[in-house]
Amino acid sequence: MKKNKDVIIETAIFMCGMLSIIFVISIFIFLFKEAISFFWDYNFIKFLIGKNWYPNSNKPLFGILPTIIGSFLVTFGACVVAVPIAVMSALYISEIAPKGVRNILKSLVELMAAIPSVVIGFIGIRTVVPFVKFFFNIPTGLTAFTGSIMLACMIMPTIITISEDAIHSVPWEYKEGAFALGATKWQTVRRIVLKEARPGIIAAVMLGIGRLVGETMAVMMITGNSANIPDSIFDPVRTMTATIASEMGEVVRDSAHYKALFAIGLVLFVITFIVNFIADLFLRKK
Amino acid sequence: MVDKIKVKNLSCYYNKKCVLESLDINIEQNKILSIMGPANSGKTTFLRTLNRMNDFNVNYLRKGEVYLDGYSIFCMNMENLRKRVGMLFAMPIPLPMSIYENIIYAPKCLNIILSKSEQNIIVEQALRDASLWDEVKDRLNSSAMKISGGQQQRLCIARILAVNPEIILFDEPCSGLDPISTAKVEESMIELKRKYTIVLVTNNVKQASRVSDKTAFFLMGKLVEINKTDELFVSPKKKQTEDYITGRFG
Ligand SMILES: Nc1ncnc2c1ncn2[C@@H]1O[C@H](COP(=O)(O)OP(=O)(O)O)[C@@H](O)[C@H]1O
Ligand SMILES: [Mg+2]
Repeated sequence: MKKNKDVIIETAIFMCGMLSIIFVISIFIFLFKEAISFFWDYNFIKFLIGKNWYPNSNKPLFGILPTIIGSFLVTFGACVVAVPIAVMSALYISEIAPKGVRNILKSLVELMAAIPSVVIGFIGIRTVVPFVKFFFNIPTGLTAFTGSIMLACMIMPTIITISEDAIHSVPWEYKEGAFALGATKWQTVRRIVLKEARPGIIAAVMLGIGRLVGETMAVMMITGNSANIPDSIFDPVRTMTATIASEMGEVVRDSAHYKALFAIGLVLFVITFIVNFIADLFLRKK
Repeated sequence: MVDKIKVKNLSCYYNKKCVLESLDINIEQNKILSIMGPANSGKTTFLRTLNRMNDFNVNYLRKGEVYLDGYSIFCMNMENLRKRVGMLFAMPIPLPMSIYENIIYAPKCLNIILSKSEQNIIVEQALRDASLWDEVKDRLNSSAMKISGGQQQRLCIARILAVNPEIILFDEPCSGLDPISTAKVEESMIELKRKYTIVLVTNNVKQASRVSDKTAFFLMGKLVEINKTDELFVSPKKKQTEDYITGRFG
């Protein structure tokens, strides 16, 4: 009797596992099928490094370089803002904060992770966008910089939570060993705690990056959504995701434009896949 | 005889419960003092008070004084004190790095800037003093987690020596070791007392009699007796001491 139950549960779990693998593979095949038929007609290299995205002109051009740069700028900017703050917050929460404060902070951070990205976009439009316009005295506040700041807010909770776990799991004995040798708290944190927690922290950052690359709503609302190569981080940009999201609704089915959007999807899929894979490598190393 | 450490009327508490009661002990320079006693008699607490490792514990409270070379340790800078008073724990806990890095970690950490050749000298000297050099000299860069328990314990000793302390506290350093490794650790302890003052906590009566110059017997937070090792083992003054060393309890 017990045996049967075990077998059933095991099979169910196995099926679920297989299902998720099948999903990922089918998504890939689906994207690949549409994208590959696009590349029959359009040169892959021209697609990747083309500077112009004119999908609706008489002789359409499908260059996604501006959107790749846009995605990269926003992602990179968000990392620069988010990573130091997030890692230091994680350190504060797990190493310095008194117990009561720690519990409150942890739940607040988890709550922050639950804010939908549209809401982040709203908040950005009402606060950061006018501020950036005014402060840097530029024609529009809808820039890559603004997007970076808002996205940083969005991924910080993820990075904080995972890094905090990594930092917290450094054995107390290692720290005690360092203290017994006369190391100060800061020396111990820097030389032992951060070193030991590094794979976890890097994985946290990679997961954050994965989320950034795929993020759509907030960036669409606050980066200006203009498909030109930006001169600086204070120019409007458009990301790959925003391109798909804003054009998919109007495109003629099975047209070259339609397929081009799938091709962007494929590029995105490959990028996030690589990022997650690297994150996994670091988590595994632990 | 120079007294390196003087303990005056020291009492220690966890959560207001007294675990060490009005202790007076003098620890002589370049000697080995062993402290023996059954579990929970406050031996570890005593050691952890001497280098202030218990300052991290919010439940811990202490009364009385400890003087190192005549100065109160509780008025000293905590990190400087721990550099002077090294501590070895019961479980060997190498830091998760190579053998070489384990030893050079503390000097580096203490921001003593060193050239590579100076580092090499420190590492070799520390490993030699801990009687480990011959066993690991060919694999200094392999992980410290891969060597045997006894070697790890001696590595931890070497790690302490690299900071050049004056006093080393050993907390049951051989409790997890086989007899051969134990003999090696004891050997290096006897070597060490030429340069250092040593306090050895042990639950092994024979070990106390083998290596130490003086022996103290703790029971339930009280110092029952302290005397020269030969005298204490031959003619204990207290009944409880005699019972303990003849193995009637503990
Ligand atoms: N961190 C602690 N918090 C509360 N009580 C403790 C702590 N450490 C030790 N004790 C108590 O203090 C007493 C003495 O412990 P300890 O110094 O570890 O003795 P020993 O090393 O001789 O076995 C024991 O009763 C133990 O339960
Ligand atoms: Mg103990």
